[in-house]
Amino acid sequence: MTETRPGGHGAPHRPTTPGTGEAPIDPPEELVVAPPRIPVRDERTRAFVEEWRNASYNCYSSGHKFCREVCPVMQVTRNESWTPTAFHANVVAMEKGELDVADIAADYVNCTQCGACELRCPNTLFTGDFYRFRTRTVDVVKAVRALAVDSGVHQPGWQRWNLRTDERTHEPVLGDTPVSQEHVRDWADGLDLPVGGETILFVDCEAAFYRTAVPRAVAQLLTAAGVEFGLMGEQWCCGGPAAEMGYRAQAERFARHNLDDWRAGGVKRVLVLDPHDYITFTEDYPAYFGADFDIEVVLVVELLAELIRDGRLTPSVPVERTITYHDPCRLNKRKGVWAEPREILRAIPGLVFNDVDRVTQWSYCSGGGGGLPVEKPELTAAISARRLDQAAALEVDTLVSACPWSERPLSEAGEARAIDVVDIHELLAESLGITVGGSRGAAGDRTGGCGGGSCGCAGTGGADR
Amino acid sequence: MTATEVLDPVIEALHGVLRPDQVLTGRTDRYNRARVPAPFPVHRWAERLPDLAVLPETTEEVAAVVKVANRFRIPVVPRDGGTGLTDGAVPLRGGIVVDVKRMNAVHEIDLENRTCTVGVGINMLKLNEQLAQYGLIYPDDPASYPCSLVGGRIGTSGWSLIGARYGHTRDLVLSFDHVLPTGEVMHVGDGAGGKLTKSSSGYQLKHLFMGHQGTLGIATRATLKLYPKPEAEFSPFFAFADYDSAYACVGALARAGVATFSGAVLFDEWKVAYLRRDDEAYIPQPADVRALACTVLYGYDDEVRAGGRRLLRIAREHGARYLGDEISAGDWAARHDRYATPLHGRTRSGQVVPMSWHCEDAAVNYTDLPAVAREWHAIIGELRAKTDVFDDWGMFCYTSGSTGADYLTEIDVGIWEQQLGDRAWAMWVEAKRAIAAAALRHGGSISACHGSCREGEVDLVPEELGRGFDLMLDLKRTLDPNNIMNPGKYLLDRAYPDPGATAGTGDGGTP
Repeated sequence: MTETRPGGHGAPHRPTTPGTGEAPIDPPEELVVAPPRIPVRDERTRAFVEEWRNASYNCYSSGHKFCREVCPVMQVTRNESWTPTAFHANVVAMEKGELDVADIAADYVNCTQCGACELRCPNTLFTGDFYRFRTRTVDVVKAVRALAVDSGVHQPGWQRWNLRTDERTHEPVLGDTPVSQEHVRDWADGLDLPVGGETILFVDCEAAFYRTAVPRAVAQLLTAAGVEFGLMGEQWCCGGPAAEMGYRAQAERFARHNLDDWRAGGVKRVLVLDPHDYITFTEDYPAYFGADFDIEVVLVVELLAELIRDGRLTPSVPVERTITYHDPCRLNKRKGVWAEPREILRAIPGLVFNDVDRVTQWSYCSGGGGGLPVEKPELTAAISARRLDQAAALEVDTLVSACPWSERPLSEAGEARAIDVVDIHELLAESLGITVGGSRGAAGDRTGGCGGGSCGCAGTGGADR
Repeated sequence: MTATEVLDPVIEALHGVLRPDQVLTGRTDRYNRARVPAPFPVHRWAERLPDLAVLPETTEEVAAVVKVANRFRIPVVPRDGGTGLTDGAVPLRGGIVVDVKRMNAVHEIDLENRTCTVGVGINMLKLNEQLAQYGLIYPDDPASYPCSLVGGRIGTSGWSLIGARYGHTRDLVLSFDHVLPTGEVMHVGDGAGGKLTKSSSGYQLKHLFMGHQGTLGIATRATLKLYPKPEAEFSPFFAFADYDSAYACVGALARAGVATFSGAVLFDEWKVAYLRRDDEAYIPQPADVRALACTVLYGYDDEVRAGGRRLLRIAREHGARYLGDEISAGDWAARHDRYATPLHGRTRSGQVVPMSWHCEDAAVNYTDLPAVAREWHAIIGELRAKTDVFDDWGMFCYTSGSTGADYLTEIDVGIWEQQLGDRAWAMWVEAKRAIAAAALRHGGSISACHGSCREGEVDLVPEELGRGFDLMLDLKRTLDPNNIMNPGKYLLDRAYPDPGATAGTGDGGTP
């Protein structure tokens, strides 16, 4: 062999790193004409495509599909039309004039906005830091849903849901039983909580009307630790679900109401027990109000971990359960909050904790997010069933979550497997000897509340409210 | 006849054998089953559309669909992960995409015989999550490990990064159920029970029904060989001042005959220059680092330690500088994720532009690697001199076997698909033809890994196979009398006397 080195004298080019100035830049010899870009006819779609074309192309051209197997919807449908890859590719197809919003809108129902795909994307994992780029599938999905609504393409379930939310100022979480402003604080009956103050507790619609044991546990825990807080003056739905389903104007209107109410009452700090609200208040509200949004948002689960750490709460009543923890998607995948819930659980005496690490849980979900249960309850049920199968394999009797929206579908799936689904706040309250009261929802109450343990409800499932 | 007149009875017949939710005719269903990661002229997307897609859940359903297609002479395009790089899963003539992702059950794990039987829609990573509880692993490890599926590995006869230790897909798949183009179901593989690793009975048909890119039918259920999950992994990365030294070192590592040796990789000077663009491990490396090598060993702790010591000694003798535990363990762990993101793309002036990664591969003997590398870089260099649509992302050479004879040799090319017009596409097809020709000139094969049925490269397949290509035509005609199975691939239309009589619903589906 006389010459083993590629390149060498006379070679047409040599290894260089463009942009580092190490080699002179020769312009390309000829301009190869790009394919013509035909402007998208519909003005609204054109604006959407302009905003998202490069981000979508970053997915399209990668073509890895590493997101596919972590996607909770994909896991139960195995339908490639409903994948993060497809959700980006459709945008490229719209840019090319191949598809329009009416063609694609229904597909975007099939997403819980859990964010797993964003984490698993090589563009986020490997070049995210360097280029300050991350794949934002959740935002793409929200934007397509909004484009659809703005273009008059509605999904019937979502349209009805948001109409009723608008009428009642709360989500219709009780089905035909109306929710209303008069009842939004009913969950707190007997707890003697003040209204107003600098710090208020915001309770999402599902917890306020359906799983009332959660806010009752939270309120009593905070009181026990000496945290001063009040309830909100006139609380409306946070608006997050409307934003998730594409009803942007309604979402902003609700946000404006809540912010105005906080301002009027001198609120400086909002305590949030629901991960979905936490996303809404820390991402959507700042996007709506910019620098004007000066409210401190505190996630209760993080605050409770701190209170335990500081010795202001000491769980001491043993809770004899074998548990695993369900990382709520909006905490673990969207916000990176996974340590504090585990810290709390490890502080509760009596628990046998069969944990599954947070990265494995990127592919876990309850199916309860992103409006999926409103349009496709059967997919939510299938996703929850998988989650309970994963819990059952660990031979636990209890699945602990930290998200009220996950707890209804998980509880329903838990019934068939004799696994109790308990909220982390309910569990912590039990270990502090607090009689929680309230309801754990239809399935939760049927499975016996605290399980007849030491919470003081005498095994009535919290029916002593 | 209009497309509707052709399709309506087909759809009606499919509804007779599948549930409504298994028959997809929506526009997005078709657009999202029309492409694979390999770059293509996106303005011609509509030419690749299927007419519809089906999601069968059993072998019987696949067979029923194929029978319908054969009856109506409608093309069938099998699609599993859709992660291939030679367009196997891309419909060229419309028809029915048979998407087998729902067939992803683990049917049996046989701990005594060390096999498992799975639906081909399962992904290897997900399978290994289930096998972990038994301390077992299915060691088929392509770059697409987190997303490619067992059926696609069979249809393309996949290549595995750790094949030097565990073999490649054709070694790891013991047998499978296969639906022939006529809809008959056949069991492919040794023995009556499907769990043998070796028999001498009759023709050895397994290899024939692997790597056909969906032109001979659809695998549905496969029995796979399992190994103990390795206790130890050692993956040293080494730096060199020049390509020659790295090349010599990789050869010596591969020839050493260490039993736990699972693979070695050579990074050439272009690859290192490319990594310096944005890879946080390589930007700070001194300028005299111009080529890299890595190797990996798997096995029990005691044997990996002993083998690792021997390979470290060999590397030192070849002037290697060990890059340290952090880069070594991290780079190997990140091997599936790091190389192919579009933001690595650069114009010649250094502007970041989103480029699609394309990997042109060949099988080349060790002694021919430097010459092939030189010729390939020259081909891409010519493209890059003409237009910023193309970018040279460097080359890897990976050992294919345990003795160091041959290497999966790949040149990674960034292609700015947003700017890829007809003229640039024609340049690319010509370059692919030249890349394939160089591999053949040096005694290699057009592909070690992906297959060779894309435009450009496919023209040289008859040259590579010689009389064997005519045999391919004979087999194709015998097994698929109506040319319904993935028509238009591998020049197999030549098997049929009258091209007008073969299956198809036109140039692509109806957009």
